[in-house]
Amino acid sequence: MFERSKKDDDTIESQDANRNESDKTFGSRRSKVTGRGGDAAVIGRSIQINGDLRGGEDLRIEGDVSGTVELKNSALTIGKEGKVKADVYARSIAVDGETKGDLYAAERISVHVNARVQGNIIAPKVSIEEGAHFKGSIEMDPAAVEKALGKTAANGAAKPVAENKSGKSADDKATPKKPAKDARTNLHPPSGTA
Amino acid sequence: MISSLRRANPRTLSDSPAAFHAPLFQELLTGLDATRRHVILDLGAASTAMLALLGRSRCRVEIADLAHFGGIDHLNRAEHGPALAHAAESLLPNALPDDAIDLVFCWDLPNYLTLDALSALMAAIGRRARPGALAHALIFYADRDMKEHPGRFVPTADGELIDRSGPGAVTAAPRYSPEVLGKSMGRFVIDRARLLGNGMQEFLFRLESCGDASNH
Repeated sequence: MFERSKKDDDTIESQDANRNESDKTFGSRRSKVTGRGGDAAVIGRSIQINGDLRGGEDLRIEGDVSGTVELKNSALTIGKEGKVKADVYARSIAVDGETKGDLYAAERISVHVNARVQGNIIAPKVSIEEGAHFKGSIEMDPAAVEKALGKTAANGAAKPVAENKSGKSADDKATPKKPAKDARTNLHPPSGTA
Repeated sequence: MISSLRRANPRTLSDSPAAFHAPLFQELLTGLDATRRHVILDLGAASTAMLALLGRSRCRVEIADLAHFGGIDHLNRAEHGPALAHAAESLLPNALPDDAIDLVFCWDLPNYLTLDALSALMAAIGRRARPGALAHALIFYADRDMKEHPGRFVPTADGELIDRSGPGAVTAAPRYSPEVLGKSMGRFVIDRARLLGNGMQEFLFRLESCGDASNH
């Protein structure tokens, strides 16, 4: 179901000869966001997912994802072709494509040029490039960010407990009312892989 | 001499935007109390420079980006009455309970709205703002023309403003007078105004409480 990249982002690029020039810059940009290169699962542009998507490794989305995305200790990149209609929880989030929903990151959220983001952004560090399109709110009060992320000193991971508009906690949101054809998708790597 | 020529020909301004001093804007930013939380509504587009400035204080920034997300046309075309009020509400980012707006950056967007649309928008904002909240706006005053689309104003390192929207076609500016604006900003009343070097007028509006408004 998922395309798994090989050892580095250059390999990701070489997997698709049709990838355009801006996509080719993806690897270096992503490395800056995550602070490391290397393995990342990829949801390809022809893939559509409705439901909860959870995992413990870095992920790039080029397809359509609706529901909830939880990669609490990992980096998520929503590629140029990616369309995400979900609340997203990750260690860091970089957006080149489209998102509709709230974005929570324990470290950083970067919205790149030509990205389209509608929803709220909660992260200690936020950057929005000129030319990106954003509608929503950005929490820049460190205390409120801390509270929203429910950051634990023990593991430094994002544990979202932010209240949403209905007064429910984000943990409640993590188990949303599922559509009839919901598919819970785990992206944990097979044993033996990082 | 050069500045007066530029003022006489808005196309020149459009082609080579110059940073301009906006004292009320600067005063707002420097006056932000770093010890308390602020809720700031920006009707324009998000910019890294603006976020960097606002990030010096504890704040939540709500960005509506009316120009890009079709808000201007939507408002101007909405039928007067409940439909217009609903259209105005729908353009604002979702609010958090008990998080009333303290400060609004309108930039030059009021110039692109009909007076009815402007009234509806500011009324919607007023319902979500605390009494005493401030709204900042830039109104085309000296020039007869303005760019066809709203600007993308960004603060410079020196605290000035520059329009990064680039050159574009021009259209007639409505040149709203202070009197007209005073009647079209909902419960926001004119606090102060300054004529700027680029021919725009900078306004600071203050939200009256419901009690204040009924006294007028």
